[in-house]
Amino acid sequence: MREVDLLGALEEFVTGKTELSKDGLQDFAEVLLKEFKRKNRRLERILKQSDRQQIELDRYKTELEERVDEAVKEIKVLNNEIVETQKEILFTMGAIGETRSKETGNHVKRVAYYSYILAKKWGLSEESAKILRDASPMHDIGKVAIPDTILNKPGPLTANEFKIIQEHAEIGYDLLKHSKRPLLQTASIVAHEHHEKWDGSGYPRGLKGEEIHIYGRITAIADVFDALGSDRVYKQAWKLDRILTLFREDSGKHFDPELVDIFFDNLDEFLKIRSNFRDETNDSSY
Amino acid sequence: MDTLHIEATKFTPDILLDPEERLIRLVGKSYPENTFDFYAPVLEWLQNYFEIESSEDTTIELEILYFNSSSSKLFFDLFDIVEDAHNRGHKIEVKWIYDVENESAEEAGEDYKDDFEMLNFHLVEK
Ligand SMILES: [Fe+2]
Ligand SMILES: [Fe+2]
Repeated sequence: MREVDLLGALEEFVTGKTELSKDGLQDFAEVLLKEFKRKNRRLERILKQSDRQQIELDRYKTELEERVDEAVKEIKVLNNEIVETQKEILFTMGAIGETRSKETGNHVKRVAYYSYILAKKWGLSEESAKILRDASPMHDIGKVAIPDTILNKPGPLTANEFKIIQEHAEIGYDLLKHSKRPLLQTASIVAHEHHEKWDGSGYPRGLKGEEIHIYGRITAIADVFDALGSDRVYKQAWKLDRILTLFREDSGKHFDPELVDIFFDNLDEFLKIRSNFRDETNDSSY
Repeated sequence: MDTLHIEATKFTPDILLDPEERLIRLVGKSYPENTFDFYAPVLEWLQNYFEIESSEDTTIELEILYFNSSSSKLFFDLFDIVEDAHNRGHKIEVKWIYDVENESAEEAGEDYKDDFEMLNFHLVEK
């Protein structure tokens, strides 16, 4: 029986509009009882429907969360893979540039960590310092375009040969500048400006002071500190004292004086890196 | 009588009330913001239909994937109208259609079938 009809009949009875005999009353009560029981059962079933939906929703939510978790995990793994691959490629490219001039793979590693320390102490963010660390091994990538005969010439270079070697800064920059990736952008700056000098006497552009990007100023110190301490075709490794004297003298000339101060303040850390990444064939650094 | 067609939304089913085909069909989800207002024209249409139309065979198909508890109550009201018509001699077949995987839709269908034991009520697995 429809709810409205039942309620209508009940209301008529209650308000006295219909009068019922004893039998009629009995029948009516039976109908009411039956309907009451039915409605009661329906109420339970409506609540059960609500419960089912709740469970369904919860199951759905849990499933979704699990799937999101898995996806995030996978993305992290993939991202890590990409980052590591990127680093390896940069490192390999940097090493190519270095081996062209008979330097060791450890040179680029040391330059990377020296640059990182200088960047952090100078006040660059952790993120930028890490990017510089990973990009600085590329500073000499432009040497891939310089002939072996010049790069590995044991004797003194002619003025023209020296000019050709200097081109590696511009060449490295041209190789890397087209990328929009922060890492390669940084690498292009480093390649371009690691031979600029604070007093404007460097190359390729003769930039001065803070015209030189902080990445260039940092890598200049890191590169020279390491190069002087290592054997090269054209020279023996310098003793530490001699290197430090040069840094003191060249502060404000070749190098950013603020960075030289930071270098001396943290000399311990630089020396630790130097001994951790010592070249196997070269023990004459000290 | 005019056909009444209400298109599905994100929260409401597609509703087709077709007097020519003698077909009443609801397909989709049912979480209207206000269930009783939403379904009022449907119930009204049904009532008129069973009053005006002859008592030839009518088919009612409900394929409701998910629905809230006020929709649950509303379907009881809807089947009350159908049961009423059935009692007055209308020949009506009700099909409650559900997906094999949708257990809760199946259970809900069983509850309706049980409540309306007088009706020609079929659970149809898809
Ligand atoms: Fe260089
Ligand atoms: Fe270098």
